[in-house]
Formats: sequence, structure tokens, C-alpha cells
Amino acid sequence: MRLRSAEICLILAFILSFIRHVCTVSINVNEVECVYEEILHEGDAVSGSFVVLDHEIFWTSDHPGIEMTVTSPAGQVVYSLKGTSGDKFKFKATYSGMYQFCFRNPISTPEVVSFHIHVGHIPDEHDLAKDEHLDPIYIKIAELREALESVTADQKYLKARNVRHRYTNLSIRKRVIFYTISEYFLLVGASTLQVMYIRRLFSDPANGRV
Amino acid sequence: MSLETCRAQDVTEQSISGEREMTIQSLCWLKLTSSELPRFGESMRFDLNSGQTKCISEDIKSNAMTVGKYSVVNPNEGYPVPDTHKLTVKVTSPYGNFYHHTDHAESGNYAFTAAEAGDYNACFWVPIHNPPVNVTVEFDWKTGFAAKDWSKVAKKGQVEMMELELKKLADAVSSIHDEMFYLREREDEMQKLNIETNSRMASLGVLSLVVCLSVAALQLWHLKTFFERKKLL
Repeated sequence: MRLRSAEICLILAFILSFIRHVCTVSINVNEVECVYEEILHEGDAVSGSFVVLDHEIFWTSDHPGIEMTVTSPAGQVVYSLKGTSGDKFKFKATYSGMYQFCFRNPISTPEVVSFHIHVGHIPDEHDLAKDEHLDPIYIKIAELREALESVTADQKYLKARNVRHRYTNLSIRKRVIFYTISEYFLLVGASTLQVMYIRRLFSDPANGRV
Repeated sequence: MSLETCRAQDVTEQSISGEREMTIQSLCWLKLTSSELPRFGESMRFDLNSGQTKCISEDIKSNAMTVGKYSVVNPNEGYPVPDTHKLTVKVTSPYGNFYHHTDHAESGNYAFTAAEAGDYNACFWVPIHNPPVNVTVEFDWKTGFAAKDWSKVAKKGQVEMMELELKKLADAVSSIHDEMFYLREREDEMQKLNIETNSRMASLGVLSLVVCLSVAALQLWHLKTFFERKKLL
């Protein structure tokens, strides 16, 4: 009985080491913005996505995009994406340690970047050998959890793209109404000016006959 | 989280006797203090310069539970954190209400149930100092089912490990389902917006044609009467 609860204790410790390492936040990117994530086991699959949410779309319809680089603790660039307004990424961590995810904005206007990072660890035979109480079923559970996390990651990516799409649509609507109404006013104003000018041309005693 | 559970298990033991029990307990302790479970296992870090404000926002649905933890990474191990490295934190709702506010804190946490749905902002800043100091902040923000405290569920009796894991998975699945509903709703809203914009563009186009033609007609009529009056025509 007492052994059993101690067993549970050990297993609990092991289970919780299958860390659900998830991070979904929106940050402002002015020039370079870096976020650090600790990856505890080498061989972990790191997956994630980032989407640039354009709040204010001024003259240029297309922002050149944000650059993303992932640097390993050893200092080499593990993954890099250039000039995109959002993409998914996946790589396998060859070292364990503090990884750096940096976003660089080539243009001076601040952008909001929404990113999601997930570090998934599935225990393998090495961990199984370390502890006899670890059932092989926990590997299956971990695999199932990883599959669910990938669905969640896809959902978050879709949600972020949805938000960006919504901003674009609202901007389209605003622009349509603003430009059309101002077009009316300008048209009426221009034609009034035209009429006034012609009247003046013909009323002026110096030109034409009165 | 697991540290508490382990201790609770030990406390609920009745008579502790024999060195075997002691060995197992000490093993338990070792496991937990090993590298497998760092202090902030699931957090991210970012840098703050002196006087700089950084805001992190999270989209939270109404009535969702949310938990946040932040702390300053100590630049000198073993010494207390200097004043230049103390944080000011503000958590605001989309309508501007303050849910959490601390000044000059080294670490802290907050938990609340979101009353309004929308973007919640957690803003951090460090007091201005010359020369500028770089402060690393460790931050973790969980919402929805990830914010649930599983140690409480585990404590409620001898819940089997597998059952706990499967409960977590069931929670994950139900949150995926909810999220799909939310995405569908938003897509529906956007489609309505697009259809309305489309019909508005059509009607505004027709209106602009009408305005153009009527202005031209008015011009012609006015000039004709003007010239007739001036006896030029």
C-alpha cells in the first residue's frame, strides 16, 4: 500500500516531465524582438507558427514581411524564415538548452506578431529502461497528446490568420466608404467651381460681351 | 506542482516505519529535484531595457480561467535582486479595467476569471536607470484548460495516473471542440461583413453614377439658363 503510493509519486514525477511546453502570445515588434524558450531534452520536436497582424495598413498594401530566426544555445541558426507575413515551422532540437526565437521588422512601423511555440517530448526506450514502473502505455499517451497539440497548434494558426483577415476586411470597408463619399463631395465641388469659373469668364466686362 | 503532490502523499501515509519506506521517500524527493522539473518549466523569457515598456497580449474568452506568473532572472546568483531590476506590472482588460498591478516586484503571479472577452494586455516596465540595464523576465501565461490546477484533482484521493493523463487529454479535446465552434462563429461574422461590404459597394457605385449624371445635368441646365439670361444664346 505504501509502496504503491511511492510508486505513484515516482510515476507522477516522470509524467510531468513530458512537459507541455506551450506559448501563445502577441508581442509588438519594433526592430528586433527576441523570446527565449528552454528546451530540456535533446531530440524534442519544436513546432509552432507566427502570424503578423497588420493593424494599420496605410499606403503599401504589402508589408515586406517579418524575418524569423531560431538560434540554438550553441549559437548557430537552426531555422530561418524571411519576408513572410506568417508561417508554420517545425524542427528537431539537436541540443538542449535555451533557444532564441527572434523576429526582425525591416520597416520602422511597429507590427504585432502573434506566435505559438510548442515543445513536445515523447519518452523513448531510454527513459523506459530508467524506471521499471513506466508502462509503455505512457509512450502512447504522450504520442496521443502530441497529436492533439498539433491540432491545437493548427487551430491557433488559423485563429491568428482569421484575425489578420478580419483587420484587412474592416480596412477595406472603411476605405470603400471613405473614398466613395469623398469622391461625391469632390465631384460636386469640382463641378460648382467649373460653373462659377465659366460664369465669371462671361460676366467679366474685360472678356467677352456682357 | 508535483512537489506538493508528493508531499501530500507522504503526509497521508499512516505509520512511517522501516528504512525501506525512508529510502523510497528519499528517492521520490531526488526525482523531483532533478533536472526534469525546473522551476518555471513552461515559461518563456524576454529582455527589457531600462525605461522600456513591453506588452504581451493574449486573447481570452469570457468566463475563462487564466493564470500568469512572472519573475526577474537574477543576474547575480546568490545575491538579492538590485532595485534597478525590479518590475512594474499591469494587467489590463480590453475595456481598460485593471486586473493586476504591482510596483517594484521581483516576482509574482496573478489569476482571474475573465469577465470580458477580448485582448488582455500584460505590460512590463523597468525604471529608467543610467547606464541602461538589461533585465531578463521569465513569464508564463496560461488560459483556459491549460490553467487548470491538476494537482488539486490528483490530490482528491488515489486518482490513477493514467486516469489523470486521460482526463487531461479529454479536457484538451473539449477545448479543441470549443475552439472550432469559436472559429466557425468568427468566420460566419466575417462572411456577413464581406457580403455587406459587397452590397454596399454595389449600391455606392450606382449612387456615384447617379450623382455624376445629375451633377452634369445640373451644370448644363444652369449654364443654359445663364447664357439665355445674358442673351448670348
